[in-house]
Amino acid sequence: MTGTSQPILRVIEGGASQDRRAFLRELYSKYGGSVQERCRYLLKDAIKAEDAMQDVFARALSHSESFRAEASPLTWLMKIATHQCLNQLRSEGAAWRRWFERDAAARPEGHGGPEAMETRVLVRRLLARVDAETQAAAIHYHVDGMTLEEVAALLGRSVPTVRKRLEHFATLGGEELRVR
Amino acid sequence: MSAHESEWTLRRLHAGELPAPDAARARSHAAGCAPCAEALKRFAQVQSQFEAHLPFEHFEAGIEQALERQRAEDRARAKARSRWVAPVVSLAASVLLVVLARPLMHTGAPSNRLKGGAVAELRIGGGEAPQRVVDANLREALRPGERVRLGYTADTHRYVAALSIDATGEVTALYPDAGESLPVEAGDGMHWLPGSLEFTGTGAERVVVLLSDAPLDMDALRDAARRAYAVSGRDLDLMPALDVPGEQTQWTLLKP
Repeated sequence: MTGTSQPILRVIEGGASQDRRAFLRELYSKYGGSVQERCRYLLKDAIKAEDAMQDVFARALSHSESFRAEASPLTWLMKIATHQCLNQLRSEGAAWRRWFERDAAARPEGHGGPEAMETRVLVRRLLARVDAETQAAAIHYHVDGMTLEEVAALLGRSVPTVRKRLEHFATLGGEELRVR
Repeated sequence: MSAHESEWTLRRLHAGELPAPDAARARSHAAGCAPCAEALKRFAQVQSQFEAHLPFEHFEAGIEQALERQRAEDRARAKARSRWVAPVVSLAASVLLVVLARPLMHTGAPSNRLKGGAVAELRIGGGEAPQRVVDANLREALRPGERVRLGYTADTHRYVAALSIDATGEVTALYPDAGESLPVEAGDGMHWLPGSLEFTGTGAERVVVLLSDAPLDMDALRDAARRAYAVSGRDLDLMPALDVPGEQTQWTLLKP
């Protein structure tokens, strides 16, 4: 008897890892540059920045379910990257004053021309003088260019509280850091 | 600045995660705005340089190494802990207060900040991993043997209190354990609540620090925490602020 043979059902193992690889590739192509840039901006060391970046993405991978549910994965990643680098500096017992004086090994972040570049450098130099929450607020506001509302949502604080933190930060750095 | 799209909006546009109407607006603006177009071009350059210097296969291998590194650290900590940690008594509320003659954690960061707003800080230390400050409203996993300290900068507030809620809704008053909230310590800068906390059991634990202008009754705070827990649908990550006067900060910890 002739006839078409039934196709053999072939199970491809490793569906999860294929999905995982696709997820990693998405992280790589959408966010890799931004996260690496943040790590370099704060750590000012290409090797340390790469390690920190890997830790950030490893965290995204190990929390992939909640990460995928985020409305803005970029916000999540930049928050984690910022937190990771600031914690690293703190745990290294970094001599912050010496740290900010080291030559920048990384490309500075910037949008808005030389003035914005100056602001970013100034922000970095002042970080050692404020608490952890103000550090994060200053970076997300002045470096990422988030609005007060976006920073407040990111930090789980009210807008007036974030404004107060940033106004305090501005007293250390002058007109360039004025809160608008 | 207001005439331009914010850098953050442009970053999100570049990452392809802006909602369609916002993306259309931002793209339309950038098409006729040199600085914003330049910013978008720079983001593309940053990404292409990143990809040129770090091929995907190397990136993938690096992430796998980072995951393995984290797993190895967890194993080492668990092993070290089994050698020296005395059996921990699990209290009903899953929290053990350890008062140490010498603090487990130093306050490493410089303290030359000027007087500013009120701040609460949760530090983890005591394990083999470096000390770290926990971001409010973000889950942080505790590794075996790690302990927690709570700090605050009172600004104009005069009283401080802390409590925690576990995943079953059990509320524990941490500082103080009864009566009314504590007067804040005098002086600017960060003050650390005494002792360290080791959370036992498993699952999540929500920690709340409250700064207020008047003393708060700890029983009332416990009730407020239970109400907030109920409102959250018994999900600690969704727990709203406690309905009490003053400023508060909440963190979610995952116990090992």
